[in-house]
Amino acid sequence: MKRKTFLRNAALTAAGSMVVPYLLPSGRLFAATGSRKANHVVFCLFAGGVRNLESVEKAEGNLMTNTLLGNESISSDIAPGMTPLPQLATTPLQSMGTLFKDFRYASGPTGHYNGHTTAITGKYSDEAIKLKEPPKYPTIFEYYRKHTSPSSSALNAWWVSDALGPYPYLNYSSYDGYGAMYGANAIQPANLLSSQSYSILGNPLQLSNTEKAKCDLMKGFMNGQFKTSTELLANGIKNNPDDAEHLQTFLRNIMQEVSLGIHNNPWGLGGMNNDMYNIYFGTKILQEFKPELMVINMQGVDVAHFKYTDYANNMRLADYALYKLWQTIQTTPGLANDTVLIVAPEHGRNLQPNSVIDTYGRYALDHNNDEMSRKIFCLVAGPAGAVKQGQVFSNTVGQSVDILPTIAHVLGFENDIPFGILDGRALTEAFV
Amino acid sequence: MKKTIGIALLLVSILSACNKEKRFIYQVQEQELYQNASEKRTLKTTTQFISIAYNDLFGTNITNQELNQFDVSLQSFGDKSILQDMIVKSLLERTSSQIPTDANMRGDIPSFVEHAYLRFYNRKPNEFEAWKVKDLIEKNTDITPKMVYYSLMTGDEYQYY
Repeated sequence: MKRKTFLRNAALTAAGSMVVPYLLPSGRLFAATGSRKANHVVFCLFAGGVRNLESVEKAEGNLMTNTLLGNESISSDIAPGMTPLPQLATTPLQSMGTLFKDFRYASGPTGHYNGHTTAITGKYSDEAIKLKEPPKYPTIFEYYRKHTSPSSSALNAWWVSDALGPYPYLNYSSYDGYGAMYGANAIQPANLLSSQSYSILGNPLQLSNTEKAKCDLMKGFMNGQFKTSTELLANGIKNNPDDAEHLQTFLRNIMQEVSLGIHNNPWGLGGMNNDMYNIYFGTKILQEFKPELMVINMQGVDVAHFKYTDYANNMRLADYALYKLWQTIQTTPGLANDTVLIVAPEHGRNLQPNSVIDTYGRYALDHNNDEMSRKIFCLVAGPAGAVKQGQVFSNTVGQSVDILPTIAHVLGFENDIPFGILDGRALTEAFV
Repeated sequence: MKKTIGIALLLVSILSACNKEKRFIYQVQEQELYQNASEKRTLKTTTQFISIAYNDLFGTNITNQELNQFDVSLQSFGDKSILQDMIVKSLLERTSSQIPTDANMRGDIPSFVEHAYLRFYNRKPNEFEAWKVKDLIEKNTDITPKMVYYSLMTGDEYQYY
């Protein structure tokens, strides 16, 4: 850590310790101490690895025309494998923010879980991470919810994952002083918001407010008789009762709409992949709850292990979905002009292909820790008053562990994170 | 300490005085009963929660297909208590769920309470619980058997075995 940063943090810590604590309505001692750049952050994380060659270096043409400037045509041999998509953006996201073209995933295995864990915890991990166990260090959701007040409701933090497996475990850590009580509302829309779910959950017992109050009375008594330690009851995050009601109604309504086919083709494309559905339902959550923090992942690019051309096409589909997300943000009161969007892959992919060839004659790509698999990009887009517009860093600036402190910087709790935990620093170059 | 109670069938009829009504029969299969709630220290897994809830309400095992559907839904949302609540409400509303009528319940509230505890908590209510829940039901004439079952199944104790 730089001496200047150390001295600043030390001074802030000392100053903070001299301030008389005060209790907020939420019961927390302190509100976030910093000023905010914006009141909302959406972080879109490409799961599975995207090479800079295919993204910002445009070796196959501009595959992300809604995100990146330029109209370079797509390589003719893979062009037949591309899904026809209308151009959405007249001004790509790059123009509305700062692009770090040579960002780094500098350390640790270039594996999915390591890449995700690094981005979400702001810590590199060189050890084999155990799947289906919470991370060792706090996640961005925990930092946000613990150190940001009074906006501490779990409805303000969402982790929207494209798949199950280990990803739901990235919600909260086993770190002392953090944990489930500071987790986000985690959702995997493709499975939950489905007609199958509606078929089993769509016809519930309906309780009037009076009946619910009576049930709460009985349950309160029953729970009072069951003396169990808090640790044992910490079975994941819990929303407060009002938020839980709101969530149930929201989930059931979306399930019903899905079962009625209302969300079959919302963008008029004739079909959507999982990334698109994930982001689409992410927009529904944004519209309903206007959360301050949302992390969404997109996993379609991981097909690169087997089908290079599909990997290139899925970058385009994700790019399309990203701009739809941006449009939703800019047309949703409360989010418009007050949201910072961060886009980055968890890591890159190898320079050398593997031996799997697709129908277009292209070899597939794995990710095994070579230099190319550590090179990624990061885009920070947002309101002109907060984010520097049209700025590009072509040299090596920033790394994966900087994303978490950057989110904390935007939401004003950067200096509330305990000193010494994080590996990175806020990307202040991106901000006005 | 758990105590094995070898009761093959525990039949209790709750009939009102003039009963042309259908008899409701509580049936508890042979099983280990807890002496008190504090013996429960192990959190149910998501699949245990679903399959036990299904068995408690329908008296039969859930199919693998339906268990998987419920489990995927439960795994897909971070706040398990919300999905568990939705699952319980959904199961309670199915016509095949074995729930006594309001008349059955109010015909013999102490017996209803005891068997509700046996059914869902695998133990008898202690004296205070038996009195308090009976009192709540008596004083609130709009409390239905479904509401009592819902409260038991969404309570903390139902998370454990």
